[in-house]
Amino acid sequence: MLLEMEKITKQYGDLTANRSIDFNLRAGEVHAIVGENGAGKTTLMRILYGMEQPTSGTIRVKGQDAAFTSPADAIRCGIGMVHQHFMLFPSFTAAENIVAGREPGSLMRFDRKKAAAEVEELCHKYGMKIDPWAIVGGSPLGVQQRVEILKVLHQGAEIIILDEPTGVLTPLEVKELLEAVKSLAKQGKSFILISHKLNEVMDTADRITVLRDGVVTGTVNSGETDVEQLSRLMVGRELIQIERKPSMPGVEVLEVEGLTIRGHKGKPLLDQVSLNVRAGEIVGIAGISGNGQSELLQAISGLIKQDAGRIALVGAEVSAESARGIREKGLAHIPEDRYVWGADKSATVQETGLMGHHRRLQRFGFIRQKAASSLVADFVRKFSIKTGTLETRTQYLSGGNLQKLIVARELAQGTPFLIAAEPTRGVDVGAMETIHSELLAKRDAGAGILLVSSELTEILKLSDRILVMFEGRIVGEMAAEEATEEKLSLLMAGGKQQ
Amino acid sequence: MSNRWSKYVLPLLQPFAAVLIGLIAGSIAIWIAGGSIPETYSEMWKGAFGSFYFFTNTLARATPIILIGLGAAFAFRAGFFNLGAEGQMIFGALTAALVGLYMPGPGWLVCVAALLAGITAGGLWSALAGWFDARFGVNLLITTLLMNYTAALFAGYIVAYPLKDRTGSAALAQSQMLDNSVWLSKLFKGMPVHTGFILAVIAAIVIYIFFKRTVAGYEMRMLGGNPLFAVYGGVRRGAMMLSAMFVSGGLAGLAGAAEVLGTQYRYIDGALSTANYAWTGIMAALLAGAHPVGTAVAAIFLAALQTGGMGVERNTEVPLEIGSVIQAVLILFISAKFTYTYLKRRKEKNADGTAA
Repeated sequence: MLLEMEKITKQYGDLTANRSIDFNLRAGEVHAIVGENGAGKTTLMRILYGMEQPTSGTIRVKGQDAAFTSPADAIRCGIGMVHQHFMLFPSFTAAENIVAGREPGSLMRFDRKKAAAEVEELCHKYGMKIDPWAIVGGSPLGVQQRVEILKVLHQGAEIIILDEPTGVLTPLEVKELLEAVKSLAKQGKSFILISHKLNEVMDTADRITVLRDGVVTGTVNSGETDVEQLSRLMVGRELIQIERKPSMPGVEVLEVEGLTIRGHKGKPLLDQVSLNVRAGEIVGIAGISGNGQSELLQAISGLIKQDAGRIALVGAEVSAESARGIREKGLAHIPEDRYVWGADKSATVQETGLMGHHRRLQRFGFIRQKAASSLVADFVRKFSIKTGTLETRTQYLSGGNLQKLIVARELAQGTPFLIAAEPTRGVDVGAMETIHSELLAKRDAGAGILLVSSELTEILKLSDRILVMFEGRIVGEMAAEEATEEKLSLLMAGGKQQ
Repeated sequence: MSNRWSKYVLPLLQPFAAVLIGLIAGSIAIWIAGGSIPETYSEMWKGAFGSFYFFTNTLARATPIILIGLGAAFAFRAGFFNLGAEGQMIFGALTAALVGLYMPGPGWLVCVAALLAGITAGGLWSALAGWFDARFGVNLLITTLLMNYTAALFAGYIVAYPLKDRTGSAALAQSQMLDNSVWLSKLFKGMPVHTGFILAVIAAIVIYIFFKRTVAGYEMRMLGGNPLFAVYGGVRRGAMMLSAMFVSGGLAGLAGAAEVLGTQYRYIDGALSTANYAWTGIMAALLAGAHPVGTAVAAIFLAALQTGGMGVERNTEVPLEIGSVIQAVLILFISAKFTYTYLKRRKEKNADGTAA
């Protein structure tokens, strides 16, 4: 056994994040850890990587007892970690990032050529392609991640921890990454893969350990299990298959015509986009992120100005309206980036949850405190958001819990039209189920929803009609019944509709 | 329990640590100057709070500092940097003096009109900088700072030439003296503190309630916390900026007006700048993390350092500047934290790639 963690317990005050967890890893194995937000996955990995000390329990690497007090100890024992948020110097080249800390050359001189050569050799050895001279900040996220993995390999890691590695990648990049992981495992490297996405885990991992509430609820061989069993182990109950009633589209709630936004480099960010959303239907926009979806949503919600085209909301022209005016006309918006647009990290949970409702819950210009706190308390209850109190700062909510708060807030605006951009990004299976059924309930209640997601499964599951965006244009439209993952992927990559 | 504790006590830790280090640095300075540390600090205490007269003198000095501090805190809360308190105060003072001198009518009415005129003048001068930002994208830090010079020089010209007081000693650039019917009344007979102090305390409480309870206060705080989030939620950034800058400058204008109507009774060129009210006020806001009531308390503390320093100079061999030493160390420690958060915000803003 390459790595053994035995009876690991970690307590923070009253909270037990890990309770007597046993975990082991064989050489050349991919061992996935799955679990909902707050199940204790990250804590366990932080302990393994020396960032936290366990309250009790032992770690053995190659049979030797190991007690790590810092990541440097862990690295020395051949353990490397690729974090969810990359830890790279954006203005440095790939090679500089990879060799950082162990630069070739003498004390006074950094031998860049040698560094590049080392990196090329590393790439060759492990079959991962990158350009050592490329500036990391300008590279796609998939490349940045490869740089991270090469950095860990350059450190001499035998055990590589990947924390939610596919969250930010495009479908193609995900595929490449998982191929790379499998091929590295064949060459004897061992991986611990932390993930939410059961399909990826089933495809890549040899064994899967499921955590729930800080306890191991099962360790299974991937060949002997299925997604349903894993979900049960994760959530602790059967997931309900959401039933979709046929949609009954009514009047048009959103009409976009010839929307164009010129970019800085001559190529338009949005090129003559026209679409409509009717009451009682969900229109999904599929596309690899960065093909104009963000601009489209921001233009519809009045956050950026279009260069040409018109937008009408519930029959009223809103092309020149402010963000405020458009909200008043009937828009609610689950933004794609919860920290940039969706919350003020320094504000309290109540303040973040109140946005948009505050103008309604007032009397003579004063916020009605009781109404405001009962509103947000309802959100917390309905979506089981884990927060200390309503006065807790938003920054202390986990990403998934903040997402739930934002979704709850926007659904409660009670508008005839809703933008849902990446509504389940970073949330666990149970919460995803809640959010999906709430979105469908909103549709059945007669609202029109424009859904943008980089998860094809989500698009296919919720949409009544699917549009595909590529390079700022709508390149395809199809009814949900005729859409398949293959057809959509082809269009998303710039192929022609048959 | 521990949550409550940390909520109320932790924010106070940093300012108290800064004050403590300031006092230690002061001790070193006193030791170098050859004074006795306990004696100097005890004289300082007496100079600031030692008798009812000295106490009210400290409050009188604190009055403009509180108002300016509140103005700075107001803008900070909404996410804007108003470094133009000095110019706004000067215009407030000058306008109040002119209304006080030339408006006909009963004294109390003239006094109220002069205060309102001071608020308006300071507010408009500040909102102008806000408009430059909204319309042309000129950085507020730069405009507010540079407009101080415009205001100071313009007001200096007015009292040195067209409206110079030629009745008394001709050497001074100052306006004529106001009739005592328009003065802000003293709170206690023969004591320096005047009604302006009450106005300052009321302003602190009103602003506290404004931010905590009102819709506009909520919108401004969200704008200060994350401008993109606020705009996304339907907060009108332009309107909010102009109003926040108007209120911020208006409070500085009120500080100037109250100083003229309550203490100096005329506009004297340079009197407001040399007393350093503006920068002390901004410092009070920083020291208190822009909390309105905290700003008032910090302003009184800083005023006490100054009046205490005068006491030290009167009664010991240690020079007046000892108060400034302590203040300087305070600035150092507070600005370290402040610059850090400001840079962090800038960085986050750049990372978004979108301007609000």
